Amino acid sequence: MTNDVIIIGAGPAGLSAAITCAKHGMNVVVIDEYYKPGGRLLGQLYEEPDGSWWNGIKESDKLYNQAINSGVQLKLSVPVINIERQGTEWNVFTNMETLQANNLLVATGAAESPAPVPGWTLPGVMSVGAAQVMTNVQRVKPGEKGIIIGVNVLSAAIAQELKLANISVESMTLPKINSMNHDYAIPKNVVNSLLHVSHLSPSPIIKIGSNLMKYKLINKLALKFYPNKGIKMWDIPIQLKKAVTQIYGTDKVEGVTIANVDDYGQIIPKSEKSIEVDFVCISGGLYPLAELAAIAGCPFYMIEELGGYVPLHNERMETPLSGLFVAGNITGIEGAKVAAAQGTVAGLSIVNNTLNSAFEFELEEAIKQVRIIREENPIQFHPHIQNGRKKMQKYWNEYFANNQESFII
Amino acid sequence: MSDKSMIICRCEEVTYEELIETAEKHKCSARELKLRTRAGMGYCGGRTCRNMVESIPRQYLPNKEQLGLVTLKYQPPIRPVHFGDLGGDET
Ligand SMILES: Cc1cc2nc3c(=O)[nH]c(=O)nc-3n(C[C@H](O)[C@H](O)[C@H](O)COP(=O)(O)OP(=O)(O)OC[C@H]3O[C@@H](n4cnc5c(N)ncnc54)[C@H](O)[C@@H]3O)c2cc1C
Repeated sequence: MTNDVIIIGAGPAGLSAAITCAKHGMNVVVIDEYYKPGGRLLGQLYEEPDGSWWNGIKESDKLYNQAINSGVQLKLSVPVINIERQGTEWNVFTNMETLQANNLLVATGAAESPAPVPGWTLPGVMSVGAAQVMTNVQRVKPGEKGIIIGVNVLSAAIAQELKLANISVESMTLPKINSMNHDYAIPKNVVNSLLHVSHLSPSPIIKIGSNLMKYKLINKLALKFYPNKGIKMWDIPIQLKKAVTQIYGTDKVEGVTIANVDDYGQIIPKSEKSIEVDFVCISGGLYPLAELAAIAGCPFYMIEELGGYVPLHNERMETPLSGLFVAGNITGIEGAKVAAAQGTVAGLSIVNNTLNSAFEFELEEAIKQVRIIREENPIQFHPHIQNGRKKMQKYWNEYFANNQESFII
Repeated sequence: MSDKSMIICRCEEVTYEELIETAEKHKCSARELKLRTRAGMGYCGGRTCRNMVESIPRQYLPNKEQLGLVTLKYQPPIRPVHFGDLGGDET
């Protein structure tokens, strides 16, 4: 049987799209490899600027219930391993069966980049996202006392979540510099990205930000005046002038070696000290998880502001491949509310394409809504996200100027 | 433990040193680096080390223009699958 719509990914983008399509009478199947619906929304827990709490588990439940009540069929614990267009249909290969649909939405979200440090393969070292899932979704402590390597919006938000769960975090600090990590190991670069992010972000970053802002007045000197012992955020020191040079332990993490570094991330000799911890979180940031769009043959562009290689798409969430849509973090790293709004756009786009452009007005409105939510969104992973979005639109226009045949059939 | 012996690709046990030396010697693209060292070619399909393998050649490539477009290829299946599931029936 050919479905009207298959959606890969049950995160905020995929579920919002599913609800929109199902409410307009389409039959929808959502596939996710995780055993719970909600995607990365599940682990989120933070205070909004207005003082209310954003609880990802509750938000996921809401979306899930709405989806089920509108007749969406969910297949959980099912990884999609390949997609392929055949005639006018998309074949979706899972580890168990192959499904067909006229429209396919890839809403596979984002993945974490690792921040390798010598010793990072020891048991007890995990990505910050893993610590978030253990703590907030599984309700298991990742350890008693840990350290976070990598200072960014995501790791700061998760540091607070660990703190809320009564898990002690020794400090947040940088990784020792190597050939792969200049963006997040060189103090100057890190300060820069934090300064730009600060004015819009939720409480954790507002705090780092406003502290750093004091130094921003003296602009480039910010780092020079950054205290050696770090600035504290809910009692967690944020060290921008120190780096972990090694994680040690025999069979599992027993501690880390930490050293002072200069503005360029070079180790200051003889400054090394050991700190005992029983777990280590590493964070090199997020990138769009776009494997399936790549396999389908979608053109890709490297747009740093969006977090990496992104499949070509327009504001209607269409790709140049006929019947293939994208939404959420696969199109660029942003918060959950933007992802959900993009999902609604993708859903309306599919409905509109199927029903002879009958929903043009609703679609335009939904696109406006994405822009509004983007502007108001407290979580901004990249300070120049708007620029990134503009670049993508430019690539889209250029692509269609050069490829007269319009959509690839 | 030093930087040199730090494992980057866990599946194929490729070290940082091996990657850096290969990139330096051959001034190659990420794809060539992968093929020469097998980093990213193991069981997980490069899900962990992919970005790292992609970022290393940046410093050694003479022609930075090459970087914009060359990305490591994705190939199905993008998740590990049991042979039994692939082959269909288990008899
Ligand atoms: C570790 C981590 C922590 C984050 N924390 C925050 C935060 O605190 N606040 C915030 O605003 N944003 C956070 N984000 C950003 C987050 O990506 C967005 O908030 C939002 O969840 C994106 O929604 P999405 O629907 O695009 O993707 P996701 O929510 O990531 O959902 C994608 C879904 O696709 C599924 N999937 C992927 N590939 C396949 C496949 N091949 N087959 C089947 N299923 C597949 C995944 O299992 C997942 O459930 C975080 C992201 C990550 C990775």
